[in-house]
Amino acid sequence: MCRASERCQRRRVSLVFGSPMTSTIEPETGAGACQGAACGDAPQRRATAAPAGALRRPAELSRNIDVSGLVDREGGLLDRAVFTDEELYRQELRRVFAPSWLFLAHADQFHKPGDFFTTYMGEDPVIVTMDKNREVKAFLNSCRHRGARVCRADFGKTRNFTCTYHGWSYDLEGKLVSVPNQGGYPDSFRREDWGLVEVPHVESYHGLIFGTWNPDPVPLRDSLGEMAWYMDAMLDHDEDGTVVVGGIHKWVLEGNWKLAAEQFVTDWYHVNMSHASALMVLSPTGKGPKDEVVHRTGRQYVDPNGHGAGFPVHPKNRFDARTVHEWTDYAVLRERLGDARVEGPLTNGHATVFPNFSYLPVNGSIRVWHPKGPDRMEVWAWMVVDKSMPEEVREAQRLYNLRTFGPSGIFEQDDGENWSECQAIAHGFITNGVPLNYQMGIGSEREDGVHPGATSELYSDAAGRSFYARWRDLMNTPAWHEEARA
Amino acid sequence: MTITGIKVAELDDIPEGEGIAVSKEVTGTDDDIALLRDEDGGVYALNDTCTHEVASLAEGWVEDGRVECPLHSSKFCLKTGAVEGMPATKGTVAHRVEVRGGELWLFPNEAP
Repeated sequence: MCRASERCQRRRVSLVFGSPMTSTIEPETGAGACQGAACGDAPQRRATAAPAGALRRPAELSRNIDVSGLVDREGGLLDRAVFTDEELYRQELRRVFAPSWLFLAHADQFHKPGDFFTTYMGEDPVIVTMDKNREVKAFLNSCRHRGARVCRADFGKTRNFTCTYHGWSYDLEGKLVSVPNQGGYPDSFRREDWGLVEVPHVESYHGLIFGTWNPDPVPLRDSLGEMAWYMDAMLDHDEDGTVVVGGIHKWVLEGNWKLAAEQFVTDWYHVNMSHASALMVLSPTGKGPKDEVVHRTGRQYVDPNGHGAGFPVHPKNRFDARTVHEWTDYAVLRERLGDARVEGPLTNGHATVFPNFSYLPVNGSIRVWHPKGPDRMEVWAWMVVDKSMPEEVREAQRLYNLRTFGPSGIFEQDDGENWSECQAIAHGFITNGVPLNYQMGIGSEREDGVHPGATSELYSDAAGRSFYARWRDLMNTPAWHEEARA
Repeated sequence: MTITGIKVAELDDIPEGEGIAVSKEVTGTDDDIALLRDEDGGVYALNDTCTHEVASLAEGWVEDGRVECPLHSSKFCLKTGAVEGMPATKGTVAHRVEVRGGELWLFPNEAP
């Protein structure tokens, strides 16, 4: 609970006008406003219509680059411009982030009307909140008047969202309910035209809430495809599902967001080299883990939509935190989820849901790689555990998570260092022009009869190649907000 | 006749903290043998090829009773060959070596 926010919101509640607004938001200017004009990338076909009047965004503001030559999936090669180029980055925001399902929050963050959480979709700030009908909705966190955020707290509970600049105030359904000195506006001013821009689709899967700006998206469940089978290994241990433990860790890394998303989609290969010192520390003998631990074999799921998950396969795969391991009833899990999941993706591994949501089953770390320009990302990490876990088991998993991943985790330090290292030099002219190698496991994808969909070896770049192929396809496809253009 | 010892080098051939490799054609062993001179002057012998990937431990860094692989930083005990640092997870073979009046005598496949 964010007390500071609650206090200041309560103070402003006196600004709310008496009569509630109608829930009907009439689109005065819809897609039609843009017909026949070069409208650039101003979103036109969204659920919340925004009066544009005589505004016409010049197309030159959003030139699109054909990226076919930057990703060679079949040859396993990648051009480093995808990590460094400013124009490509802005195109990503338009064509990769705006049309995709993006992770917003966990359902456990919303229990009562007015519970809210602020986050980002791409670089767009959004408020996720439970309205009075107990429906979780998401809104662009930007006042329609001058554009400041209408909620500046990280999370909390509120009655409405009031802009700190001039005091425009919005209710939990995004409706503009108060405009100080409204009499100063012309008669044509209608508050119902100026509600918060709503994220048109918010859907959840096993407690994970996603949203998309795409007004006509493939449903979330369909977009996950076979990936859901792998996600269930972490999220569906029993009927009670998962809850969030502790706060959300946030930290900044110098590095393109794709470096992190890519590693979580496809990279077990780095573990023994990059994490050697961490593995030494965790080794009971102090001499490193046993050979069979280091030389694990396993599978890597390769999703056609750019998702991916890699995991060791072993009949005795176990949670590393002893208390968690001892509490876990593997027999019950085998019955519910099947042997293949218990011996594979249930306890260990890595995964990314395209584009920028990743997770680690071993400690329940789920995270978003928020893009902050081509050279920087902000990592937001939640920790989820089974709701059925008793307090001491949750605490054991929380501590294990803290020690391994997150800003204090000895593994996370290694990863962040690698990504920042790759980014730091990638702007060199010669450096930038030298292609990178993603050739491990080329041609190895197959149906293995055990794991759904196509899988490759544990050590493979297959899901990475699929990730960048999906990125390339979206980058070359006009998004929903471009369809109304001439 | 059984050859139990081979004179393979002079002590001065190996600077402190470094090593030299002796070919398996000389030692008659499966692998070349690295003669490694610790910073305190002691001389030790281990199989030359790292147990992790193909790398010569004779080209590694010798200090504090260990040799560190020049490629991926795996570490091995000079006296026993035990692995003491990842990414290698398997120990290597140690051989007996003697310093006789400035000469290095190697006893392949004899434990130190």
